[in-house]
Amino acid sequence: MAVTLTELPAGHEFDMVSIALDDRRARAYRNATGDTLAVYEAQGTVPPLAVAAFALGALLESVGLPPGTLHANESVRAHQPVPEGATVECRARVAQRSLRAGRVFIVLESEITLQGALAVTTRATVLCEAETS
Amino acid sequence: MNGPEVAAVTRQITQPMLNAYADASGDHNPIHVDEAFARTTLMGGTIAHGMLVLSFISEMMAAAFGERWLASGSLDVRFRAPARPGDTVTARATQQEPKDGRMRYAVECASQSGEALITGTAEVGA
Repeated sequence: MAVTLTELPAGHEFDMVSIALDDRRARAYRNATGDTLAVYEAQGTVPPLAVAAFALGALLESVGLPPGTLHANESVRAHQPVPEGATVECRARVAQRSLRAGRVFIVLESEITLQGALAVTTRATVLCEAETS
Repeated sequence: MNGPEVAAVTRQITQPMLNAYADASGDHNPIHVDEAFARTTLMGGTIAHGMLVLSFISEMMAAAFGERWLASGSLDVRFRAPARPGDTVTARATQQEPKDGRMRYAVECASQSGEALITGTAEVGA
């Protein structure tokens, strides 16, 4: 792994990633969380938080994550339902990077689009010990 | 603008749940799945992914609002304390005054002891 998340400067833009929301993956998410509401089957959609979680997971595959990194804040907004089986695209950047009390705080913002239209937006704050970065 | 009743969601956290969530989400941070590593950290053991615990709030809102939640729901939360295997977590919502034409709820996840694990706001288009 060439670089860890906490080494990235504010303003860093991640390469765009495509995320396939196939039924097997969507089912695995619903089974893991226990969120088996009928609305997803009835609407043929994926939970918006699943879309956000898959995007975060995809981003973290592209950079090293210091062990023990913690999630401090999260904002997620759905802009349209995301159908199961769709492929979405995620563009993300490091919106802020700061050092406080011996910890590195990173704010990640992402826009997840479906066929060019905004589907889900997220803003996540993660932190880790500065000496591990 | 009165919203529907939002019923609480309660889940027990287990290590197999964390492992399954790590596989599903792609987040294999060892603090969630490696007990030996996690014991060496300030956490003292594995903790649940924040997004996993947050999913209980999303499920609660989806159950109340259905497609409206999927099309226009939003969450803005702070992770205040970790949930650990063995914990029983309950998500609850309390309706607030609407804002900018959106229904607004104070939301939280709390442990079996009443400790706030997640607090924040959920909104959904009217």
